[in-house]
This record gives sequence, C-alpha cells and structure tokens, in this order.
Amino acid sequence: MAKTRAKRQVQIRSSRHNMDYILLTVVLFLIAFGLLMIYSTSSYEAGDKIGDSAFYLKKQLQSTIIGFFALAVMIKFPYKYLQKFDLMAIVVSAILLCLVMTPLGVTRNGARRWLDFKVISFQPAEVAKIGVIVYLASIIQKLEGLGRNVIRTPKGIAIVMIPPTIIAALIYGITRNMSSAIIVMGIAVAMLFVAVPDYKWFIAMGAGVLAIVAAVVAYVSSADTTGSGFRLARVRAWLEPEAYSTDEAFQTLQALYAIGSGGIWGKGLGQSMQKRGFLPEAQNDMIFSIICEELGLFGAMAIILLFVILIWSCMVIANKAVDRFGSLLVVGVMSHYAIQVILNIAVVTNTIPNTGITLPFISYGGTATLFLLTEIGIVLNVSKSCK
Amino acid sequence: MTAKKNKKRKNRNINLQKVKTMKLAVMMLIILLAFAGLGARLYFLTRDNRNDYQKRILSHLGYNSKTLPFKRGSILDANGTILATSEKVYNVVLDCKVMLDDEKNEEPMLAALSECFGLDRTELSRYVKDNPASQYYVLKRRISYEERQVFEEYKKAYNEQAQEHNKNVSDSEKMGMINSGIWFEEEYIRRYPNNTLACDVIGFTGTDNNGQFGLEEYYNDVLNGTNGREYGYLNDDAILERTTVAAMDGYTIVTTIDANIQAIIEKYIRQFNDEHMNEHREGLGAYNIGFIAMNCNNGEILGMASYPDFDLNNPKDLSKYYTQEQIEQMQEGDGEDYYKTLNELWRNFCISDTYEPGSTAKAMTLATGIETGRIVGNETYECGGHLMVADHDIDCNIKAGHGTLDVSGSLEQSCNVAFMKMGEAIGVKNLVQFQRVFNIGLRTNIDLAGEARTAALVYSEDTMRAAELATASFGQGYNVTMIEMAAAFSSIINGGNYYEPHVVSKIVNSNGDTVKNIEPRVLKQTISSSTSEQMRQYLYATVAEGTGRTARPAGYAIGGKTGTAEMVPRDKTNYVVSFIGFAPADDPQIVVYCVIDRPNVADQPHASYATAIVKSVLTEVLPYLHISRTEEMTITEQEEADNLLENIVAGGNKEAGDGDGNEEGDNSDTGENEGGADESGDGQDHENPDDGAGKPSYVVDPNTGELVNPDTGEPAELNYSYEGGNGDDATPNEGDAQAPVEEGAAQ
Repeated sequence: MAKTRAKRQVQIRSSRHNMDYILLTVVLFLIAFGLLMIYSTSSYEAGDKIGDSAFYLKKQLQSTIIGFFALAVMIKFPYKYLQKFDLMAIVVSAILLCLVMTPLGVTRNGARRWLDFKVISFQPAEVAKIGVIVYLASIIQKLEGLGRNVIRTPKGIAIVMIPPTIIAALIYGITRNMSSAIIVMGIAVAMLFVAVPDYKWFIAMGAGVLAIVAAVVAYVSSADTTGSGFRLARVRAWLEPEAYSTDEAFQTLQALYAIGSGGIWGKGLGQSMQKRGFLPEAQNDMIFSIICEELGLFGAMAIILLFVILIWSCMVIANKAVDRFGSLLVVGVMSHYAIQVILNIAVVTNTIPNTGITLPFISYGGTATLFLLTEIGIVLNVSKSCK
Repeated sequence: MTAKKNKKRKNRNINLQKVKTMKLAVMMLIILLAFAGLGARLYFLTRDNRNDYQKRILSHLGYNSKTLPFKRGSILDANGTILATSEKVYNVVLDCKVMLDDEKNEEPMLAALSECFGLDRTELSRYVKDNPASQYYVLKRRISYEERQVFEEYKKAYNEQAQEHNKNVSDSEKMGMINSGIWFEEEYIRRYPNNTLACDVIGFTGTDNNGQFGLEEYYNDVLNGTNGREYGYLNDDAILERTTVAAMDGYTIVTTIDANIQAIIEKYIRQFNDEHMNEHREGLGAYNIGFIAMNCNNGEILGMASYPDFDLNNPKDLSKYYTQEQIEQMQEGDGEDYYKTLNELWRNFCISDTYEPGSTAKAMTLATGIETGRIVGNETYECGGHLMVADHDIDCNIKAGHGTLDVSGSLEQSCNVAFMKMGEAIGVKNLVQFQRVFNIGLRTNIDLAGEARTAALVYSEDTMRAAELATASFGQGYNVTMIEMAAAFSSIINGGNYYEPHVVSKIVNSNGDTVKNIEPRVLKQTISSSTSEQMRQYLYATVAEGTGRTARPAGYAIGGKTGTAEMVPRDKTNYVVSFIGFAPADDPQIVVYCVIDRPNVADQPHASYATAIVKSVLTEVLPYLHISRTEEMTITEQEEADNLLENIVAGGNKEAGDGDGNEEGDNSDTGENEGGADESGDGQDHENPDDGAGKPSYVVDPNTGELVNPDTGEPAELNYSYEGGNGDDATPNEGDAQAPVEEGAAQ
C-alpha cells in the first residue's frame, strides 16, 4: 500500500517537471566554456601538426552532441529500472575491460586503454565508473532492504566493496590507468560512507592511506631509486620538479609556469605562451593550467566556483531524492565529479604526483564527455522526483 | 502488526535520512575544504612565482633577440648595370627538439632533408640520436630561394598527404608530419654578376659585409646598413610584446664606370696578355697591364682595369694562374706566400702601384716650360745621341741622335737630350713646383681604397740636383701612380682644370631616392688655357707625325705621348712601356692611359705595345661615345674598319660557339692569321673564354657607335640588364629582365 502511494507521489512529482535547471545551466556553461578552451589550447598545435586548427574542437563537438542525446534520453528514462542492471553493470564493465586485451583493444598516445568497435570507440574505464555507481546504488539499497545492519556485517561490506575493487584492479591491471582505478575506489568508498552511519572505519582507513603515502614518499625521497618504474619516477618528479625538469617533471613544470605567469587577471583568452608547443597536448589533463595562464587566478576561481555549485546541487538533489536508489546514484555521480575535479587541479598545481586525470566537462576526451553527460542526465532525472 | 512494521520502517527511513543528510554534509565539507586548499595553493603559486615563471617562459620562447640582417647596397655602373649586389640566401637549420615533438616526425623529416638538399640520411640520424635536444644545427648554408622553394613544396605535398591519411586511422598508424623543426635562417651574400669585370675597381665583400679593396672597401660604410632586431619585452601589464625594428638597407652607389667601355678595355688587355703569354719568359704577357679611361672634363673614371684579373665571386681562386701544386706549395707553412700572391692579384695596379713614368712625363715638362715662360716655342735643340750632365753621360732614346729639333719635334721624337736641355732651362725650382701643381707626389684622393702615397718617391728642391733634374725632365728618377698621371694629363689638355678623379657619381637609398650627388670637383688651375691649347697641338703632332703614330684609330684625330721607362737596375732589360692620350684632338672628351709593366717580349722598350692596345680600345670606344670621325680615311683604313666590323660579327659567333672553352689563348692563332697585318683588326675573336656567362656581350659598330648584335651585325638589344640608370635596385632578383638597348646605351 505504501508502495503504491509512494509510486503515485513520484508520478505527481515527475509530472511537475521541477528539474534542477541551475544544475543544467551550470553544466551547459561548463561544456561551452570547455569547448572554447579546447579550441584555445589546441588550435596552435593542431594547426601545426594536423593542419586544421579546429581539429580537436570538431571532434569534441561531435562527442558533445552525442553526449547531449544521451543526456536527453537519461532525463526521460525512468531511473528506477537501472536497479535491475546492478549485476549486469559490473559484469559488462568487467568484460569490456577484459576485451582491451583482445585485438579489439587499441593503443593511443602510448597507452592501451581503448576499445574500437569500428562504429564507436571508447575507454571501458569510463563505462566502468558509471557501472560501479549503478551497481553500488542498487546493491546498497537491496542490502538495506534485508535488514538494518546487514550492510555493516563483514559479508555485507564484502558484497558492497569486492566488485568495485575487482573493477579497479582490472582497470589498473589491464589498462595501467591508475587514475581511473583511484576514481572507482573513491566513488565506492564515498557511496558507502554516505550509506552507513559509521565514521570510525573511514577515519581509520583515511589514516591508513595517509600513512602508506607518507611511507612511500619517505622511501622515495631517501632511497637511491634510480632505475625504478615510471610511477616512482613521477613521485620523485613531484617532490623535486626542478631536478627532473627535462624528463618526468617537464609537463608539470610547464604547467606550473603557465599558472604562475597568468597573474590575477591572466594574459587574456588565446594569449597563452605555453600552449605553443611547450605544454604538449594542453587540451587534455593540463587544460586547467592554460585557463590559469589565460584567465588568471580570477578565471580559475570562477571555474572552481562553478564546480562547487555543480557538486552542491548534486548534494541537494541527493538529500531531497524521494528514494534511496536515486539518492545513492546522485551521491555516486557527485563523488565522481568531486574526486576528478579535485585530483585534476591537485595534479596541475603539483600538489600530488602526476596521474593523468582529466577535468570534467572541460578537458578534451570523447568517452569521458559522453558518460559525464549521461550521469548528468541521471541526476536531472532524479531531481525531477525530488520532494 | 502492519502499523508497527510501518512505523519501524518509517523510523528506519528517518534514521537513514538523518544519516544521509549528515554524511552528505560531512562529504560536502571535505570537498569544500579540498577546494579551499587548492584555491589557496593556486593563489600562492601565482603570488610567489609569477615573475620567476614569466621570465622562464620568456627565456625558453627565445624571443629575446633575433637579428634581421640588412641588405648591403648594390654597385651600379653609369647605365644602371649591376656590378655588385647582395642576394638573400637561406641557411637550413634543424631543431631536433621541435622535430621530436612526435617521434614519428623524424622519419619523414630526415627523408625530406636528404631528398631536397642531398644530405646524408645516416649522418643526420646519428646526429639526431646523439643530440635530441639540439635546437640549432645548421645543415646547409646559403641555399637560394629556389632551393628553399623545392623543400617548401615537398613539405606541403607531404603534409597534405599525411593529413589525409591520418584522418582515418588510429593513433598508432598515423604518419609523422614535417613540422617547424626545419626552418630557414636568412642571410645575404654578395654577388658579382659579371664575375671578373672591373674586379680591381669594385673589390669584394665576404659574408661579414666587410668590403675589401676598391669601392667595396672605400664605400663600406655607405653600402652597409643597420641590422634590424626582433625582440620581446614585458610591458607594464607584464604581457609579452614582440617588437620588430626593421633592418635599414645600405645605400646603393652609382659609379661613373661604363660596363661597355670597361669590357672593351678588358678585352684588349686580356688579348695582349694572351698574345704574349710565355713568349719570352714563363708567365703572363706582362707583370701588369693597367688601363684607365676617364672623362678629362670632369674627372669621372669611365673604365679602369688591370691584368691579371680575378673572379670577384671567388676571389681566392688562383687556379687561373697557378697549378694546384704551386698553390699548395704557397699555402705551406704560415701561408705567407699565398696571401702575398693573393694581395698582389687583388691590388689595383692603376692606383696602388708606382713606377717611373718615362717619356709620358715629357708632356708635363713641356707644359711647365711653356707655363713658366722658360720655353716660348721657337727654341731648337741639337741632339747628338747623348748628353753629359754633371759627370753622367745620359743617352737619348736613339743613340745616333735626332739632329736638330724644334720644340714640337722634340716631343714628337721623344728626344731625351732636348728635354734635358728644356729641364735645364726650366730649373729645379720650377720643375719641382710644377710637379706639385700637377699633384705628382700627392694622392689624387680618388674614391677607391688602396691609393699609394708617392710623396717619398719624388724629388724636393733639396734633393733634386743637375743629374736628377735632367732625368726627371724625361720622366725617370721619380715614381708616380697611373691615376696621378691620368689626372695631371687631363688638366694639361682640358684647358688647365685639375679635376679630382672619382668613380662614384651618385648615392641612392634602397627606395631609389638620391641621397647624394657627387659633383665633379675642380681642385685647381694647373696651367693656362693657352698653354693647354699649345700642348694639345704638340701632342696631336706627336700622334700625327711622331712616336705615337700607332695609337691613332682610323678616322680620328687624337693627341698623346708614348713612354718607355727603363727600370732599376738600369741594365736595359726591363721597361715599363706606356701611352697616354686624348681624343678628339681639338675637343678632348676622353683621356686614355695604358701602362704595361715589363711586357713578356725579348725586346721590351717599345711603346707600340701600349699604343696598339690604346688604338684598339679607342677604335671601339670613340664611336660608342658618339664621337664621330673627322679625318679622311684611306682605302686601306676603310677596309680595316669594315674588317673590324666583320671580325666583331664573326668573333661574336665564335664566342657563342665555344663560350665554355677554358684554355686561355686558344683563339690566338686564328686571330693572328686573320688580322696579323693590322693590330686593330685582329683579335676580335680573342675574347677570353674565361669570362663565363655573366659577362656582358657587347660589340660596337666602329662606324656608327651603335651596339650591334654579334650574330647579325644589326643594331641589337643587349643580353644583360639595364635598369634605366636610375639606380633603383629594389628588386635585384628581377634584374634579368631584358631591356632595349636604347634605354641604357644610347646616351
């Protein structure tokens, strides 16, 4: 009985269409601004190397249009049906990741992270992020339905956390994409954090991670580690960028130069020096540094503020969502954005070692844009049925 | 039961909602803290490192300073023919770092380099491997614009193809591109389109824009401009501004040299050399042959040449005169011999070498005598073949003696005894004073580098005694330069005006606007116009009746004086023979002076070697200057003149036929067979084949003075450039355009 009432309530709500337009506006602005910055950052290199200065802009525009279709579909699509795909989301993600090892996998820019189905090519890691969000939202809600504290039992935690861990391990193991693995784990932890009332475990876990990081840093900076793998080299480069200015830290240093030279108001849109061959592929991970160079501290803060509004809106929707599943979905998406934005800016400012994380909605990247917009579609859909 | 359950669920929901709200708030707080931290980091990064990082960016952008080279001005002849010009060339520079932006680029870019510039692939690969960070490596120097275009087109075609390919393939299969890692640095080099023409007058310039010898050295500062600069600086808003200060191109100088007259002169001195090469001794036809043609009424040099000559485009090339072994021998050790030889070759005999003038100086002695009144014109002199002066027995040029001679006869016969007597009458004081009046012992200040000082080589009143007075009166015992003699002689026959000889008439800027006109400068009145008038008579008679007879071109009345000076040691073996003259006799327009230093013949003391060259030159130059014939021509002379034209036409054909021949004098046999009877007729086909393609091909119809086509004998267009004589050198690359002869020559 309660169920039908709730259902009716949802229908009434959804008929009102009180979708979160602030969120949509912010996203639209970020997308438009991203396209502008992609053109600004890539036109010089694209013109020089490819002969078409709008090359990257055009490709990004394509995936943006496809992304908007996905967004429109997801706004209409009753998100509740997504619950049914929980296991499937994880299995499909895992299969797609494994496919990278088959001949369908493609190497681009020196990394084997792509699947090429001729008609469409994409990074399965991006699919996995949304897959994990759907799985967790669904499974947490189901576990809660079984009993109050089922999720807090070791078995419950295992059911919640093991599949995302496997996915993260696959991402790192197969595509050597540590940043995506971190994001997947981050999303999982964040969703679990919101779902359970506990704090102790998370504080302990956070402390543990910090301790490990500190240990690694101490080891790297003290020991003679020449010759070890590229991740250690990146850590070294992070610790003393000037000492590795020609190799590992080249990109980081050039990004820092870009940020530092921008000043408060920047050099003006299109006036960046660093994009002229000194910061290679500036339209990807390092786009934020060019924003700083061209638009200054002011522009950078404005962009951060927009992300804060975006995340805040997500939080409000998650809080107001009528059902547990929708709420958890939004939490997942929100944590995805937050982790990615924070890590990206942290990398660009050399606050953490370089991991290769893109800036949502702004960095160049077809698959990422498509799934980010899909996620926004889901959030907007949930927002329609808010209390 | 249901209600309880419902309540429980409701509680749970409320509980969950509470937890969720709380947790979301905590999460949001963490996120906001993270953003705040990053914002602070951004702020401090910007605040603390701004200036440092801006400098770094500027420094690696390399805009600090880039020199834009100026273009050195051209040197033009009186008609606008380019004698020297600067051409833009390019250095091929490889920037490995830029090239290796994408490692795929290496393959196509090195392929392009070896394809377009013939560079060795393996060597390039090795260099790139060893120096992947090198940003400036000059692969090839001084390629032309056309060669550069070959690369640019290759690059364009390749890149288009690569782009087409790259559109449809995945990253791993993409082709590399040719990027800006190969670029071209601009530079100017000096070109002399006519190679050897007027080499001694022009001088040469290396890539350092530092002229050596001749006009290039004398007008170095005028020809040079100022380098421009392109540099970046930070303006008040700390924004990089790029500023270009354009290069100031150098001024072009327009000379009084007429390339046609110059070429005629060079043709005949080269012909003399070819005829007498290896004749008496191993070597050239003479140690030096100098020739000056100048306008006696304003001091403008129309042509000035000496032999041996050299290729201005390759001044260090000695292969024309020495074998490879000889050159290597000279270069041994510190190479002193080598540079001495080169300096000998490069120096301009006409202004830098001194010699005893010999009998040509008798004109000065006689003019001095008349001007001072010591000789009135009705004197007679008795010549017994020698004269005792202060214990020295000084011979006359004819041992048997000339018998009784009047003043004119003394000059006509070039009698030393008569002139020693004149010298006695004139006296030391007057003779020395008038040497100064004629500027002997002083520089003429001609605008050419390297004019010799002769002050220490002439007598003063204190050093000149009776014997010195006697020898000086017929031109021995003191030294002069050719230009001194030519300038002094011009004043003797032009009415007494001493003009400062000069080579440059106008300086124009790179837009063709005149910066400075160099007007003729009369320095002084040497003798009165009546004395000059009298001298013209005597000198005319010398050519008409006396020793200068062989210098007269058919149909013209000219004046002049031969010279045969015995060199030290006075052992009657080595002589400097010469002839100085003017034409026409009644209204002098041009002074010509030819000096042959030790002709390569068994019996040297004959001025006819010099007069023959003068005659040949005047035969072509006078009609070219539109000076018409005034004298009756005998039937033989008429035939000779016709023959000459025929020879010109035939010679022109011949030249066209074997223009690439390299052996010197390979035509001399033909020349002697055809024209052995008369020197003015022979050797039109003696054109030295060494000239190469840059040399203007000209021939002058001796009857009309028009330039004729050597193939047809018809009045013709020249096959080299004229630019209307306005000195506009803005587009030297287009200077090849054909222009009708009327424009340049018919003035």
